[in-house]
Amino acid sequence: MDTVVSHESFQRLARVIDSRIIISHINCPKSGGHHSTQLHPFKLTFLDHDWLFAQVGVVENINAYQTRETPRLEVEVYTARIFEYLRDQLVLLHRKNPYISVYIALRIAIQELLDDYAGKYTFFLANESFLFAFCNFRQLMILKASESMGDILLVTSVKEGLSRTDWHPITPDPQSQGELLVIAGPDVLYAGEV
Amino acid sequence: MCDLFALSAQKDYSAPEFLPVFAVRAKKNMDGWGIGFYRKHQAIVEKSAEQIFHSGELHDSFQRLARVVKSRIIICHLRFRTSGLIDECHAHPFVLKFGGHDWMFAHNGKAPAIESYRSSGIAIEDATSDSARAFEYLRDRMEDHHREDAKPEKLFNSLANSTSQMIDQYPGDYNYLLSNGHLLFAFTNHRQFMFMKGSEKLKGAFLLTTLAQGLTTEKWLRVAKATNRRGLLLAISGNDVILHQSI
Repeated sequence: MDTVVSHESFQRLARVIDSRIIISHINCPKSGGHHSTQLHPFKLTFLDHDWLFAQVGVVENINAYQTRETPRLEVEVYTARIFEYLRDQLVLLHRKNPYISVYIALRIAIQELLDDYAGKYTFFLANESFLFAFCNFRQLMILKASESMGDILLVTSVKEGLSRTDWHPITPDPQSQGELLVIAGPDVLYAGEV
Repeated sequence: MCDLFALSAQKDYSAPEFLPVFAVRAKKNMDGWGIGFYRKHQAIVEKSAEQIFHSGELHDSFQRLARVVKSRIIICHLRFRTSGLIDECHAHPFVLKFGGHDWMFAHNGKAPAIESYRSSGIAIEDATSDSARAFEYLRDRMEDHHREDAKPEKLFNSLANSTSQMIDQYPGDYNYLLSNGHLLFAFTNHRQFMFMKGSEKLKGAFLLTTLAQGLTTEKWLRVAKATNRRGLLLAISGNDVILHQSI
């Protein structure tokens, strides 16, 4: 039997990180960047928030996307372009209507993204207060944690979940453009088709 | 009729300027007041049956609280009695624990039909008003949804459905604020809510009140139910409206 030991620094971080929202991304060795600057999550500040973004999937052609806003993420991986695209759309929608609900704005942004750059997307987008999860090709697994783990909600793209407990799948309807969830605190606030 | 105020912010925030302005502008409500906030996810409520404004002065304790309360979510209620007695028990916000959270509830409106509701769960002690019963009703229905819903349960849907059921079963005028410490929900089916975000003075906070003129000279956004719908429900986190949906 293979013994799997995770990276020491990863283990150390896992022990000390204390945050309302935590996003972790593990890079596929066959795709994506290999320099630490190319790894997710990426960070951008806009609309009065620090936003984090991590993505798995396959998207063609979006490398050519040129953001209209600043700052640009100075890294040549397509996930950075997806993040910039969503940022640009959210900022634009917010300029048109400062009181637009964030869920509706992101849903519109994703619809535009899928129209312009069709592909397979699973991503997390979060600020200090809430976390969005979107998938259009593989399921997400969700667990509202047991009392022993505290009052938390876990989401992962790992298809088996992360433990033997009762994980719930979020599977995008093949007839829809994908499923968008918003999580606030330890609860799924809302989930709907894009 | 009572008036409501809420503040939602990304970080712990105090409202020393806005709570007194709210109290002065809503001083016609003479039957008690309450301020609710969160400390380490625990709901803390201070309330009084005394008049908020007396002999040209704001209630001393209210002023002191307004200066020191600091929380990501603050709810304030000024009471004009339409149901129940004038005492501290009937001042809002009310607190109930369910679904792993301390929930706070404050209500403005008139719904005498729901006074007859009897919960099978824990009742709000000594409160006989429509507001107390409305909160218990929502708690009971949300717990029902929690048992019945396909997992993962969706909190917004659960509250929207519960509110819809409440209006069907016990018609009335309901404006309520409900929070679990992470989120602030606001529902209206009469009067309006006025919003303000992005003000220089606010520095990343979101304000909401039932007062038609708002709390500052800036332009406030008015939201109310559409004429052909039964109500409007909003979910607010930090200084953002995450969702709004007509019921």
